[in-house]
Amino acid sequence: MADRTANVTWAGSLLEGGGTIESVGSGAFGPLEVTWASRAEESEGRTSPEELIAAAHAACFSMALSHGLAQAGTPPERLETSATVTFVPGTGITRVALVVRGSVPGLDEAAFLEQTEAARDGCPVSKALAGVPEVSVDAALL
Amino acid sequence: MPRIVREAEIVWEGTTARGSGVVAAVSSGAFALPTTIASRVASDPEGKTSPEELLAAAHASCFVTSLGSELARAGTPPERLGVRCTITMDEVEGVGHRIVSSAIAASGSAPGCDAAGFAQAAEAADAGCPFSALIRASATVTVDATLEGGADG
Repeated sequence: MADRTANVTWAGSLLEGGGTIESVGSGAFGPLEVTWASRAEESEGRTSPEELIAAAHAACFSMALSHGLAQAGTPPERLETSATVTFVPGTGITRVALVVRGSVPGLDEAAFLEQTEAARDGCPVSKALAGVPEVSVDAALL
Repeated sequence: MPRIVREAEIVWEGTTARGSGVVAAVSSGAFALPTTIASRVASDPEGKTSPEELLAAAHASCFVTSLGSELARAGTPPERLGVRCTITMDEVEGVGHRIVSSAIAASGSAPGCDAAGFAQAAEAADAGCPFSALIRASATVTVDATLEGGADG
């Protein structure tokens, strides 16, 4: 069992105030500023919940994919994954688009596609985000 | 409704067990962080982040804006709020690793708000937070709310 923790503070109103991701359990990042404007309009160098979800999903998917490829006897040399999260205020997160490019010796494109779909369906973050209407994956070998 | 789009990326080299990755915020450029499978599943992450820690940061920062909105809507805008989120991943028999819970601990000061009002706002924030709604599909979400100072205010 693994627990991971983050601490956030907020001062002032939603529109004029601002928040800070003060610290996380690992110490890997923080403080990071967050504001409503940087979430809903231009990011202006500030992160947002949606960007953090994108980061979590890209990382989880990549770990699951590299694991699946290794299990199949074709471990990857390199995987490049991006995740783009679309959020519609009032509706919620409507889409996560995963794009992965992989360098995998000894593997053909069809088998790579199959592995990416399995990682998309099976990784813990995908399972946690099962309520998102659309999680797409665009995969190709480098 | 305006759509909000945010992107992040990771470059991973090697297998899960021995490889490592760097996860970066593409939209904002706010972070670029190393991660490994050991930092994800071990009790000591050794200074490296993980998907679950990023989700904890996402949930805490999403929840805090919902709570601030609810308090403002009730006529008692907050002066300061603190939210701690702990995400737990566990190995579930037969299905492998799953994110099983997200525990929110919220505290803060909001002039004119009493403890019951603060608890009510926290409940409404949980109901309205898009992240709470999503993750509830697979995990348990708990919310613990504490008003700081002037509990009778």
